[in-house]
Amino acid sequence: MKLLSTLALAAALALPAAAQAQTLTVYTAGPANLAKTLSEGFEKLSGSKVNVFQGTTGQVMARLAAEKSNPQADVLISASWDTAVDLKARGELLAFDAPNAAAVPANLKDSHYVAQGAAALAIVWNSKSGKPRPVDWADLAKADYKDAVTMPDPASSGAAFGLVSGLTKSGTGWKVFEDLKANNMIVPGANAQALNPVMQGAKAAVMGAADYIALDAKANGESVEVIYPASGTVLEARPAMIFKTTKNEAAAKAFINYMLSDEGQKLVADTYLLPSRADVAAKRPGYKDIKLMEVADATPQQRADILARFKTTLGLK
Amino acid sequence: MGASLIGLALVVALPLLFVLLQAVFPALPSESFRTPFAHWAEVATDSRLPGLLANTLLLGVGVCLLCVVLALPLSLLRGLTDLPAGGLWDLLFLIPFMLPPYIGAFAWVLSLQPRGYSSQLFGFSAGDFLFSPAGIVAVMGLHLFPVVYFALSRTLAAIGPRFADIGRVCGATPAYALLRTILPLSIPALLGGLLLVFALTIEEYGTPAALGRRSQFLVLVTSIEEKLAEWPIDLPGAALLSVVLMLLALGAFLLQHVVASRHPVASVGGKHTARAVFALGPWKGPAVVLFALVTLFAVILPVGAVTATAFSKTLSGSLAWDNFGWRHFDAVFSNRSGALDALLNSLALAGVAALGAGLLGGLAAFVSVRSQMHGRRLVDGLSILPTALPGMVLAVGLILAWNRSWWPFPVYNTPIVLLLAYVALLLPYPVRYVSAGLRQIGPSLDDAARVSGAGPFRLFRRILLPLVAPHFLVAMLMVFAIASRELVASVMLAPSGLKTVSTFVFNQFAQGSPGAGMALSVVAIFSTSAILVLLARLWRVDAR
Repeated sequence: MKLLSTLALAAALALPAAAQAQTLTVYTAGPANLAKTLSEGFEKLSGSKVNVFQGTTGQVMARLAAEKSNPQADVLISASWDTAVDLKARGELLAFDAPNAAAVPANLKDSHYVAQGAAALAIVWNSKSGKPRPVDWADLAKADYKDAVTMPDPASSGAAFGLVSGLTKSGTGWKVFEDLKANNMIVPGANAQALNPVMQGAKAAVMGAADYIALDAKANGESVEVIYPASGTVLEARPAMIFKTTKNEAAAKAFINYMLSDEGQKLVADTYLLPSRADVAAKRPGYKDIKLMEVADATPQQRADILARFKTTLGLK
Repeated sequence: MGASLIGLALVVALPLLFVLLQAVFPALPSESFRTPFAHWAEVATDSRLPGLLANTLLLGVGVCLLCVVLALPLSLLRGLTDLPAGGLWDLLFLIPFMLPPYIGAFAWVLSLQPRGYSSQLFGFSAGDFLFSPAGIVAVMGLHLFPVVYFALSRTLAAIGPRFADIGRVCGATPAYALLRTILPLSIPALLGGLLLVFALTIEEYGTPAALGRRSQFLVLVTSIEEKLAEWPIDLPGAALLSVVLMLLALGAFLLQHVVASRHPVASVGGKHTARAVFALGPWKGPAVVLFALVTLFAVILPVGAVTATAFSKTLSGSLAWDNFGWRHFDAVFSNRSGALDALLNSLALAGVAALGAGLLGGLAAFVSVRSQMHGRRLVDGLSILPTALPGMVLAVGLILAWNRSWWPFPVYNTPIVLLLAYVALLLPYPVRYVSAGLRQIGPSLDDAARVSGAGPFRLFRRILLPLVAPHFLVAMLMVFAIASRELVASVMLAPSGLKTVSTFVFNQFAQGSPGAGMALSVVAIFSTSAILVLLARLWRVDAR
């Protein structure tokens, strides 16, 4: 019995009380530390409380889908631009205008969402791998890189899908993926699963890793290099949006405006993401340093077709 | 009696009901029952489905077989002989449970892939094996065999002495007594354990996802997870495939039931001599070596890889002295990203979940084994179903059920919903273990108690409870160990702002810094083990 009361006490102490009505609820994909620093900064500034749920884009979206009858989230920051486009089309988003968004490039904002920041896809190369330093995507399809390449799954990563759709736009682009298949490239899952084998050295390079994670790993001493291919790459912007169902409209707008303030954008920059405001200094190669390729928005049908062809080309089930 | 039914209804039946409703009515999350069955044709005609089903069954059966091979000899030694340091082995075999399967699989990848730890230390790698179906079976079997080991060794210890004595009175050799009486009597416990292993294997996502994608070995859960993680989210499809998984588990349950009921096992009546049947004598050494070998593969290697990663400054720096550092532990103990809060949350939640699951599971076992109540079989069957449900899907069921404005008090978005998930997911442990114990207690004891004037409550408290206590406590310790690291349901259900060990570790992993996550895993394993040792001492679980 003593044990029981001790545990009950421990539970009562460790677990916070149920959320109060006046708190802002933010669901976010991406770095846990950024979610924490942004919400703490906003709490200090505004005095209102922020509850954060942070997970992968898939986890966040599944939770939102299941909560639909009684929505909990006020603000969503997704790691995939398509989700914002889709949610807007379904009429689930609130239009808003954040004054601080003025300095955000036009391709990173819309009437219903605005980018928090962006990541670029890059080749991440283990410099101790003994393989020649690659400079473009096609280098990973050469014989040197047999059994040495990984790639995040375009079905689960919006950015990787953008890369596939950008590279294969010309029709002859599928040749690269056929050669990568001949090189036994593996597609082991999301970003982390593609990056980890390269960090330990089991593989030599990632084809299209989200750069900020690798830049962070490099800053912590990992022997990886982040290479932006000469032929261009794609950006994955992280849209922030407000749900129509919110009961905290003012606080939600204030939160997004804070995220786009000098202070908020500096917190974004600290995670090696590219701040969405072009006038805030990045701790990494910025918009001017990275060559981007043209990628048109894909309709759901086009998306399904490209994913299907990707799977067949790489022999995936 | 009624209490157990109400409890099961709330904890198990309610989320299950919502999963079933979701499987039928695709628009359920928007509170609409329109277009029922609209998505069935698409799911049923998916050309991958037969392959997924076959792989799921193959994996389930393969892991069960490996568990028998590993657990049977160990249980015989532990249950029937004077094996040295029995309590220590029990504790060691609990450790794999404290590692989320996902992290366990990742530890094997770090160990066996080219340029992994084994190639750095011993110059060999075994990536091809690890990423093959056989490798997945090996990793999951090594992780799950203790489920069978604990069920079987407890049972053997309880029935062994008595039946060995009878055998000897009738002139049988100990070996003959073992083969003809003791082993057949322990079949229900073995099957109960295997049923759990099967259900746990077919619902497990982490290991097949981490290892199976390279050899294209996909199972039903892989597909369920895709539906839940890839945009646009497909809740109805995921729910429908989960129903298929539950049917598989139900089939296994019925099979187990048919076989088990052919073996009446009431074996504990009256006096219970607490001593080993066989003296190992000169075989003590080899027995200990066998235990040590299994410990090496099931415990030391995976936990060692986790520890090595936690102490490595960088992953690319390999195992080298100049790469050794406390950086990741500093990050944990400084609590910068809330690692210590996560640890305390997990331990508190696991403690309460162990008590809740123990109480409800014990009651359910008692009802299904000792009562004449109508629907007692239903109670038994209901308690196994959540195990076969992927954690993600159970979480969806719980959200659909509890995230409603009509409840008079909030459950969703509070820690209570996490506890509900843990109790539902882990209920089968107390139910299986306690009912295996109860089945061995002969009805003669009830009669004796009644003749001596004891009421049902006194019978329970003075006779049944002390006899099943070891089963009960082992089950609660397992619930504690597993709940302290449960990942999948926690990710979906943690109230915003609340972190647990597993969600913390997973986030670190997803953000490309496995070291920090591994450091918290190490701290969690050591603190959970310390608590288990303390409790075991307190309750003298290992004394027999």
